[in-house]
Amino acid sequence: MVNFTVDEIRALMDRKRNIRNMSVIAHVDHGKSTLTDSLVSKAGIIAGAKAGETRFTDTRKDEQERCITIKSTAISLFFELDKKDLDFVKGEQQFETVEVDGKKEKYNGFLINLIDSPGHVDFSSEVTAALRVTDGALVVVDCVSGVCVQTETVLRQAIAERIKPVLFMNKMDRALLELQLGAEELFQTFQRIVENINVIIATYGDDDGPMGPIMVDPSVGNVGFGSGLHGWAFTLKQFSEMYADKFGVQVDKLMKNLWGDRFFDLKTKKWSNTQTDDAKRGFNQFVLDPIFMVFDAIMNLKKDKTAALVEKLGIKLANDEKDLEGKPLMKAFMRRWLPAGDTMLQMITFHLPSPVTAQKYRMEMLYEGPHDDEAAVAIKTCDPNGPLMMYVSKMVPTSDKGRFYAFGRVFSGKVATGMKARIQGPNYVPGKKEDLYEKTIQRTILMMGRYIEPIEDIPSGNIAGLVGVDQYLVKGGTITTYKDAHNMRVMKFSVSPVVRVAVEAKNPADLPKLVEGLKRLAKSDPMVQCIFEESGEHIIAGAGELHLEICLKDLEEDHACIPLKKSDPVVSYRETVQSESNQICLSKSPNKHNRLHCTAQPMPDGLADDIEGGTVNARDEFKARAKILAEKYEYDVTEARKIWCFGPDGTGPNLLFDVTKGVQYLNEIKDSVVAGFQWATREGVLSDENMRGVRFNIHDVTLHADAIHRGGGQIIPTARRVFYASILTAEPRILEPVYLVEIQCPEAAVGGIYGVLNRRRGHVFEESQVTGTPMFVVKAYLPVNESFGFTADLRSNTGGQAFPQCVFDHWQVLPGDPLEAGTKPNQIVLDTRKRKGLKEGIPALDNYLDKM
Amino acid sequence: MEVVGLISGGKDSCYNLMCAVREGHKIVALANLHPPKDSNSDELDSYMYQSVGADGVELYGEAMGLPLYRREISGQAKNQKANYEKTEGDEVEDLFELLTEVKKNHPEVKGVSAGAILSSYQKVRVEDVCRRLDLTPLCFLWEREQNSLLSEMVENGVDAVLIKVAAIGLGEKHLCKTLADMAPIMKTLQDKYGVHPCGEGGEFESFVRDCPLFKKRIVIDETETVTHQDDPVAPVFYLRLKKMHLEDK
Repeated sequence: MVNFTVDEIRALMDRKRNIRNMSVIAHVDHGKSTLTDSLVSKAGIIAGAKAGETRFTDTRKDEQERCITIKSTAISLFFELDKKDLDFVKGEQQFETVEVDGKKEKYNGFLINLIDSPGHVDFSSEVTAALRVTDGALVVVDCVSGVCVQTETVLRQAIAERIKPVLFMNKMDRALLELQLGAEELFQTFQRIVENINVIIATYGDDDGPMGPIMVDPSVGNVGFGSGLHGWAFTLKQFSEMYADKFGVQVDKLMKNLWGDRFFDLKTKKWSNTQTDDAKRGFNQFVLDPIFMVFDAIMNLKKDKTAALVEKLGIKLANDEKDLEGKPLMKAFMRRWLPAGDTMLQMITFHLPSPVTAQKYRMEMLYEGPHDDEAAVAIKTCDPNGPLMMYVSKMVPTSDKGRFYAFGRVFSGKVATGMKARIQGPNYVPGKKEDLYEKTIQRTILMMGRYIEPIEDIPSGNIAGLVGVDQYLVKGGTITTYKDAHNMRVMKFSVSPVVRVAVEAKNPADLPKLVEGLKRLAKSDPMVQCIFEESGEHIIAGAGELHLEICLKDLEEDHACIPLKKSDPVVSYRETVQSESNQICLSKSPNKHNRLHCTAQPMPDGLADDIEGGTVNARDEFKARAKILAEKYEYDVTEARKIWCFGPDGTGPNLLFDVTKGVQYLNEIKDSVVAGFQWATREGVLSDENMRGVRFNIHDVTLHADAIHRGGGQIIPTARRVFYASILTAEPRILEPVYLVEIQCPEAAVGGIYGVLNRRRGHVFEESQVTGTPMFVVKAYLPVNESFGFTADLRSNTGGQAFPQCVFDHWQVLPGDPLEAGTKPNQIVLDTRKRKGLKEGIPALDNYLDKM
Repeated sequence: MEVVGLISGGKDSCYNLMCAVREGHKIVALANLHPPKDSNSDELDSYMYQSVGADGVELYGEAMGLPLYRREISGQAKNQKANYEKTEGDEVEDLFELLTEVKKNHPEVKGVSAGAILSSYQKVRVEDVCRRLDLTPLCFLWEREQNSLLSEMVENGVDAVLIKVAAIGLGEKHLCKTLADMAPIMKTLQDKYGVHPCGEGGEFESFVRDCPLFKKRIVIDETETVTHQDDPVAPVFYLRLKKMHLEDK
């Protein structure tokens, strides 16, 4: 800690308008962590010279070895903005005013809480957790590869969470040195990336939305260019400043001329919108040309020219740097001329919202309770004196084995060491006692990369770590002091845990350690699911092969510390139906005195996706929802108003419709039928997998006249049986998960990709050349079941030139009748049943269907 | 008051009799309705009466040293409404006939002991029959808290085993379990699914092997498990009591 002490940071925390909470997001290998290092180096935690090599935020040994980020890491930075630049900070909620010598002045110290997140799709859940606690996002794009699949995934998530983006074009050094692009080519590349990013932003949000304008535009200054590895970066503001005096115009006016179709005629000294013979594009002439000049002079060892440039640009090289030449000199030169840290930090403070600005429009997305209660108002105004509302988004392992720091964001009030607070888990329902603990916060801490610092308290608008609440929360939850507080909304992950492995201890005596280890693993990762099957199997479900590999390694080495036996990875399936039940199914309760009549039918295409995506939501107002269902899916409006519930878990992609007419006591058994529905949709009849895309209709119900004979014990199992019978009579089918694979490779390797994909039931749906590069991008669908070992297979068939990114895309019906022996779905169902220790063979219909 | 005890073989009717004795009433006769001998199933799924274990009830008279009146269930649940009024061919009319016969032989009988706890369906019907015969129904267990009632039965020496299960969470392995064994299991199921701990919703039926009113105890020698409905979650099983004998206490 060279630049600041904990006390200084604590003082800054109170100046909430001078805080910026931000995440760095990007596709894998686009250079986030390296870029982050230049920010850290500016804030002075590690020495400037080492930036670009250390990857400060990669705290784990395997992260440093593999050179990928696995866990997201938070650090706090302090940045003092040059007083002359304060005018660029716009908006009243974006800065604090202080009194200096009786005069009001903008305060120039900024506290930046930065979270570096992983780029590999398998760890997208870490990105989700990071986005939740921040208000702005630095989107890093490798300008050679362009916008990739994971760029889109994370950016889409950011927009959905109302996180404001700024863009950084990274790896400009590669574009210049390796690809040797010319000025106009480079401009076109940049412009295409900006367009691509804006297309994504426009798809998932718009400029008229609550966040205000969110499109990225270099002429506004919210797009940066540079090289994280070499430690230099600029926005158009930097260059504008160099020329502003010469042109005699204001910096922000000039910036507009330095981007897009603005051309400067050297003879007439005039700007115009059209290119004439003597005119040159502003960006090329005033921004790129000087950079090209520097590169040319240094890389081609033109010493005189270099010396002239050093003088002209006023670069102050250190003594030992003066003797350098070639690439090292270029690095040193560029870093002195356009220091990445300053540029980036300026861009962040100018263009990303303060918590005060952001929470105003984020509250309605974040808070489940009424939008006018005490907690909601406090969040909206980021009030440090209001009730405490904090969201814990993930658990971070401590050096103490088995214990975790709860990591999250304080949205209102203050969280303090030793205070008593309510810890509300995701299943907490206001007014009830479940998933609720009232405990003392043992300690509050600041989390900074590899280090933590204890701190007395942390006020609203900041990111905090807590000690001692890990035993009450599994993965995350709400911490509050307001007794009527509802929960903060649970995060929605962009990936699903579709790949699973079974683990067991090599030594059976280690079972208790394994169970304990699995519990810790479940805590340490925002998405991994650890399932204890009734058969005694222990299952770990993750987003992909790499995710599972890391989880297993953590489990073996850190959490359980015992040798493990692992099964081959298997895929989760879903159960669905293909047609409407061929009869109205009847099931009787165990006491034979109650009867339920039901059918099942497939949902229209797209509805299941809409439910999973949140467009059609269990919590929506029912009339509005019915309207959507009627308009988009041609459901009968009256019927659509009588949806009893979603399932499984009350939110899943299956629906239960009440289509009865005038049935007595129906409402009394609703809870029991719903419980049976949740159960049946969670554990489908074929192989105990979740159901997906099934609509159930309750047609009629005959009930015992006396309430005592139609309780849950009678109705829940009956409901479950009748739903199973409905499925079995409606042509059940198995759905398998399918990845979208994006593969970048040189043209020569494309043929090899097709071969590998064909063998694995994959099919290519898009193939294109990345403009301005010799690289090709191939996009394909690949069943997850066929993806194991895909990466290795692909590499060996393309001489190591193709590198795939797989991201879960959709569910697809596996052709064939699972009830018919010998088909592939039948084999999968039987294997799954065997693995789960279920009765052999799919239960026959007469198990569930009763006669009148 | 002289009382006739309606018995099913189950714990509730038996314990209600014990309560009646404790309150100073005198039991003069027992009465029971059983499924027709020629029927192919022991389980009628009647709305009113316990039918499994009927074979064992034969021994009740001798075990208690009281005259036992039995009658076949010939009617069906024709009137399934919450309130009952006389309906020809309804199974409730079988009870009317049975009690009429008891009254003919024991004119001194004034009260009827019945073990309903929460089923107003059953209570309403017993009350209807009693009103028509000018008898007083005695339901000491009515609306008692079920968990404490169950443990009270165990404490007071009701030795009963489960002979039928028909509810979520109960299975074949629970047959033949005693009430003492079942009490904690039922409590868990109550918390989880709202199952009635005393089996009042038809979750299980029991058969009393011994209680303080018995002069001889019933020993079950041989049983056969019958699967009534095969379902992995809430299967219905019952025991057919094939061979029993009495044993001096």
